[in-house]
Amino acid sequence: MKKIFKNLFENFKEYFLVVSLLIISLSILSLNDKPEIRKIKSYSFGTFALFNSLTSKAVDIFSNQNEIRELKKVNAELMLKVNSFREYGLENLKLKKMLDFKDTSNVPLVSARVISTLISKTQGNLIINVGSIDSVKTGMPVITDQGLVGIIVNVSKDFSLVRTLYNNNFKIAVRNQSSNVDGILGWDGIMLIIKNIPTTYEMNPGDRIISSDFSTLVPPQIPIGIIIKKENSVSGLLSNIIVKPFAEIRSVRNVFVMSIKPAKQIQVLESNILK
Amino acid sequence: MLLRLLIPILIFIPLAILQLTVVPLISIDFIVPDLILILLVFFTLRNGQIYGSILGFLLGLLFDLVSGGLIGAAMFSKTLAGFLAGYFFSEKRVETNLDSTMFIVIIFICAFVDSLFYSLLASSETDITIINLFFEFGILPAFYTAAVSLPIIVFKPSNRII
Repeated sequence: MKKIFKNLFENFKEYFLVVSLLIISLSILSLNDKPEIRKIKSYSFGTFALFNSLTSKAVDIFSNQNEIRELKKVNAELMLKVNSFREYGLENLKLKKMLDFKDTSNVPLVSARVISTLISKTQGNLIINVGSIDSVKTGMPVITDQGLVGIIVNVSKDFSLVRTLYNNNFKIAVRNQSSNVDGILGWDGIMLIIKNIPTTYEMNPGDRIISSDFSTLVPPQIPIGIIIKKENSVSGLLSNIIVKPFAEIRSVRNVFVMSIKPAKQIQVLESNILK
Repeated sequence: MLLRLLIPILIFIPLAILQLTVVPLISIDFIVPDLILILLVFFTLRNGQIYGSILGFLLGLLFDLVSGGLIGAAMFSKTLAGFLAGYFFSEKRVETNLDSTMFIVIIFICAFVDSLFYSLLASSETDITIINLFFEFGILPAFYTAAVSLPIIVFKPSNRII
C-alpha cells in the first residue's frame, strides 16, 4: 500500500504540488479582508512604494511638479466650488429648499503624487505618496481637479492605496444632477455603468453624474462623470447608463485626498461596502 | 533549487517597479504587457514544471503584496501559468524554446491563462460575457505580452549570466 502511494506520488508529484499551491492561493484570497492580511499588505506596499517613488520621480524629472501640483490644487478647489454653485443654480431653478445643502468647497485637500498604478481590467488601484503621517485615513475620497478618482482603502506610514472607479469592488451611490435620479455606479471591467434604471426615468446622454446624498463613502456633489450612452434592456423596462468619468484616472499623476472623516456610526454600517 | 529561485526573485524587483510605474504609460485601454509573466516563463523553460509552479506561486505572492491588489489572485494565476509553461520544458530543447518564435507562442498561451484567471478571481462582476472574458480579458493582454517579449529572442541573456 505504501509503495502504491509512493509510486502515485512520484508519478504525479507535479500535479500534487500545483493543486496544493492553488488551494493555498484560494485560501489566502478568501482571507483578504482579515485585519492581519491588511496589515501585511499595507506594510509590504508601503515598503515597496519607496522604490516606486524613486522611479516615478525619475519619470517625472522633466516636468515642474511643484508648480503643477499647486495649480492642480487650485483647480480642484475651484472644481468643488463650481459644482456647488451649479448645484445652487439647479436648486434655485426648481425652487427647492436649500437649508440642508452641504458646502463641500471648504474641505481641506492633501495633495499627493501617484507613484504606482496597478492596471488591470478588474483591479484599478493606485499608490500615492501620502500616508498616516499626513493624516490620511481609510475611507477618504481621492479627487483630481476634474472629479472623483477613488477612495483610500489602505494606509501605511508614508503611502496609501487608492481603489479607483476602475475597480470591480468599488460601487458608489450617484445622482443625475439634472433629474435627481439616484443609482449605483460600478465598473464591469470595460465601462462604468449605472445598472437597472427604469427606462421612464430621465437619464440622458450629456447629463452630469455626481455623488449622491445617500453616499456615505464620499461626500455629496463630487463630480464623477457624464452620461455617454443609454442602453435599454431586452424587456425594455430597465436601462443601463454608461458613464465616462471626468477624471483621467489611467494617466493621473497628481491627486488630492479630501480630509473628511466619515461619521463613526455610519462607517461601521458601511464597512461591508468598503471591504 | 533555492538558489535557482533567488535569481528570478532578484530580477523581479526591478521588473515589478517597471510594471507599476513605467508600463502603465504604455497601456492601451487597460491592457498592459505582463513583465512578471515573461520572467516566469523564461525561467520555467530553463528549469522545468515543478520549478515553474513554485516560482509562479512566489512571484504571484510578491506581486500581490507590492501592487496592492487582492492577495491570492496573481498567486493563483501565476502558479497556473508556471505549471502550464512547464509542459513546454525539455532539457534538449531549452535553447530552441528560448530562441525561436515558439517562445512567443508559449508566452501567449501562458499570458492568456494568467490574465483570464486573474480577471476571473479579481472580478466581482457576474455580467461578464464569455466573448468579453476570452477576448478582452484573455487574448488581448496575452497578445500585448507576447509582443513585448519579442526583444527577448533578439537580446537573450547568455547562459553565463543567468
